Amino acid sequence: MDTVKLYLRSMKMLLRCQMQYPVSFLLQSLAQLVMTGGEMMAVLLVIDRFEALNQWTGGDLLFFFGLMNVVFYITECFARGVTGAFPSLVRTGRLDGFLVRPRGVFTQVICYAADPRRLICIGIGALAMALGSIQSQVIWTLPKVLLLLEAIFFGYFQITGLFLIEAIFCMFSVKSVEVVNALTYGGRSCCQYPVDIYPRPLQMLFTVVAPFGLTMHVPGAYILGKPLYGWPAWSAFLCPLAGGVIFLIMYLFFRRAMRYYRSTGS
Amino acid sequence: MSYIEVHDLCKRFTVRKKREKGQFLREKTIVEALKNVSFSIDQGELVGYIGPNGAGKSTTVKILSGILTPDGGEASIGGIVPWKERKKHVKRIGVVFGQRSQLWWDVPIIDSYNLLRDIYRVPENDYQKRLRELTDALDLGNILRTPLRLLSLGQKMRAELCGSLLHRPELLFLDEPTIGLDAVSKLSLRDFLKEENQKNGTTILLTTHDMEDIAALCPRVLVLGHGKKLFDGALPDLLSRYDTQRVVNVRYNGDCFLPRLPKGCSVTKEGDSYKIIYAPEQLQTPQLLSILQSAGEIRELTAQPQNVDHMIAAMYKEMDL
Repeated sequence: MDTVKLYLRSMKMLLRCQMQYPVSFLLQSLAQLVMTGGEMMAVLLVIDRFEALNQWTGGDLLFFFGLMNVVFYITECFARGVTGAFPSLVRTGRLDGFLVRPRGVFTQVICYAADPRRLICIGIGALAMALGSIQSQVIWTLPKVLLLLEAIFFGYFQITGLFLIEAIFCMFSVKSVEVVNALTYGGRSCCQYPVDIYPRPLQMLFTVVAPFGLTMHVPGAYILGKPLYGWPAWSAFLCPLAGGVIFLIMYLFFRRAMRYYRSTGS
Repeated sequence: MSYIEVHDLCKRFTVRKKREKGQFLREKTIVEALKNVSFSIDQGELVGYIGPNGAGKSTTVKILSGILTPDGGEASIGGIVPWKERKKHVKRIGVVFGQRSQLWWDVPIIDSYNLLRDIYRVPENDYQKRLRELTDALDLGNILRTPLRLLSLGQKMRAELCGSLLHRPELLFLDEPTIGLDAVSKLSLRDFLKEENQKNGTTILLTTHDMEDIAALCPRVLVLGHGKKLFDGALPDLLSRYDTQRVVNVRYNGDCFLPRLPKGCSVTKEGDSYKIIYAPEQLQTPQLLSILQSAGEIRELTAQPQNVDHMIAAMYKEMDL
């Protein structure tokens, strides 16, 4: 509970920091709006042209697009320390400062950075999800709402876990993080569409290695009433846990890697 | 057993060289940052830690503050091994890195302090009392609401110190705290550290290149070079070994005819004055004076004490650092 309090207070502080430069904040938010809005336009165009992709209607695709954006940008907004700031933390030696404080390193990294500009992107994602679910005539029930929250929750942990791989590489000062980017940003681009439209190897990649399929598409498909791969209903509630597993594994690796942290000269 | 016990501490770094053309693998070299360093420090001591750049000072501080894990040797501070029980250990220590800020850049420093209170779980009453103490002692009252980025270097350093002492640490590591400060800030910072050490019994390990800091503050110095401990004792004892030369400046009215001085003395002409460096052991002072007097009509004569920095330089040179 104490940690949550610390997190909330840190967030308040970071928001204040951002507000020191209001014009910059506004302009960058606007840039985000144009960027994500543009992506949404692209999806709308695809939907308009093809009407359906496999079993998925235009509304379904819009829903998946929205879900991915909500989850991904929540992660970028609230786990900025892991998704973006970590390499510079190591390079500048700021991480040393975290190590001399009586709190977990991961906690402090999460508390160190936030990116409120992404709130715009989350909003667009939510809008797409709402439009999609209306178009696909989703009837919202309590279990579906809970499932959606579960998917978002574990999706957040899964993406944070994937970004942790990059953080771990940083510790050994390996600069080639492109492989990791293929999983994180690549995953975001690919898995805006349900995973079963892709060929087998990609399906495997995004189910087993970076399980976007399990955390988002299985529950998403259930909500839309078209179970993915025809899996039973209970699997929709179980699959998102994969995100938690990914996070846990990477978190343990991260803690282990901290022992090899070499710091930088001064 | 002393408060800080360090025994045979070792740390190696692997440095990868840039790959040259035609080479398949990058060459690796192992740099031994610390080689079997041992020392002990009692509670309440104020110890200066000196050595040339790259001697391993920062590495020692980083190991003792729980940032790095050593490759060999033992260390305990108040019965705790820093890198094994990091959280428990760092609760009782404060660290100030001279060139790195621990506070938040864009917000008033009081906000940073409030967050530090939450991080260290300092009870509100204690915190308010301590904050008042520190703001008075460090004269921070009228900059508490100023963002860190708008502060001058001296103000920043005082703000950092306050931040590192809010949780009343028993042990304070200072890494070049006076770097780049003006004379007034330096003096007031020294006074503050002395008082913190005497009043609260805080053990302080001060890393610096500023020998005046050491001379003013530290009854005891540790000298490190090439990862080895070279000296452990009082500063005057260290200096007396290298404090063998004296400098005299003479100016003459009109011409002068300085004879050749014995070996071991050097004469340099700077404008119309002569700078003579001599070792009293080889050339006794009365003898030198009579030589100078017979050379011409002396207008003025000044004697200089040997500069501490020069002595340290001589020491590093002799120790082949």
